[in-house]
Amino acid sequence: MGTEYLERGAVAGLVGGLGYGLFQATVGNSFTAGLETFEAGHSHGGGPVVDGLTTAAVSVGGGVLWGLLFGIAVFGIGYYFLEPVLPGRGVTQRLALAAAGFLTISGAPWLLLPPQPPGVEQALATDTRMALYAGMMAAGALVAAACVVAYRRTANRHPVATAAATALPLALLSVPVALAPANAVSGPVPPALAAAYRWTVVFGQLGLWATIAAVHTWLGEPAIVTESTPHQVRAD
Amino acid sequence: MQAETDTVRGRVDIATSRLSGTQMALGLALVAALGFTLLFVQDPMVHDAMHNFRHGAGITCH
Repeated sequence: MGTEYLERGAVAGLVGGLGYGLFQATVGNSFTAGLETFEAGHSHGGGPVVDGLTTAAVSVGGGVLWGLLFGIAVFGIGYYFLEPVLPGRGVTQRLALAAAGFLTISGAPWLLLPPQPPGVEQALATDTRMALYAGMMAAGALVAAACVVAYRRTANRHPVATAAATALPLALLSVPVALAPANAVSGPVPPALAAAYRWTVVFGQLGLWATIAAVHTWLGEPAIVTESTPHQVRAD
Repeated sequence: MQAETDTVRGRVDIATSRLSGTQMALGLALVAALGFTLLFVQDPMVHDAMHNFRHGAGITCH
């Protein structure tokens, strides 16, 4: 199959991941560490088991791997299989895939469990929250697929009708949000600062996806190689 | 719609004809392992080392 697809996905993910790692190193680590000074004792049951430098370094590395994972899984494997159904051409296809990825990995789960600054006490147990997070990832993927189907069904209509139909499945996400148990939170960080932190996280993830999509577009269309036509190039 | 060959099913057929089951399983396992490690592993050492990353990426970590 297209090793070219995998390679381009990995390259785009690596570039995006390096950018996101830089963001983690310059903003994420310091912002998180700074907010920790609001709390008296970070309740992880006996303090951190690794020192701050390790946390900072591993977190930057985690950011790079996070981008690499998106690049390989979504833009390497996902783009290979989904390219025929993604709306539009070129950068539109990549942005659609990036939006679907963001909705699946972050957007949908955040409707239930928005990003929290450190030190926040949450009503739901960790296991419950991880199960909810995973469940909302599945819901996000389904809704993203429904959006693509709605787009394709209405692609010949007026652009406004197409846009409305494409966005309509997003409303389905309100169902699990309404049904899920409430997760009351309380923390030492002032609300305005917590909101700023939350939006920093949101824009950080959006920036990562946008970077991967941009680099992937810049790398151009990979050739799809089949058994019968080893060097067939898609006619664009 | 594009040419007849350019469908999701066509892509799946190409992939299954060119990759062995082992290759596919290995690839999926690697991706799953990386994703699970970054998102969900709660071992104290992993948890604390990736603490800033998980907060920064909005992953529900603790």
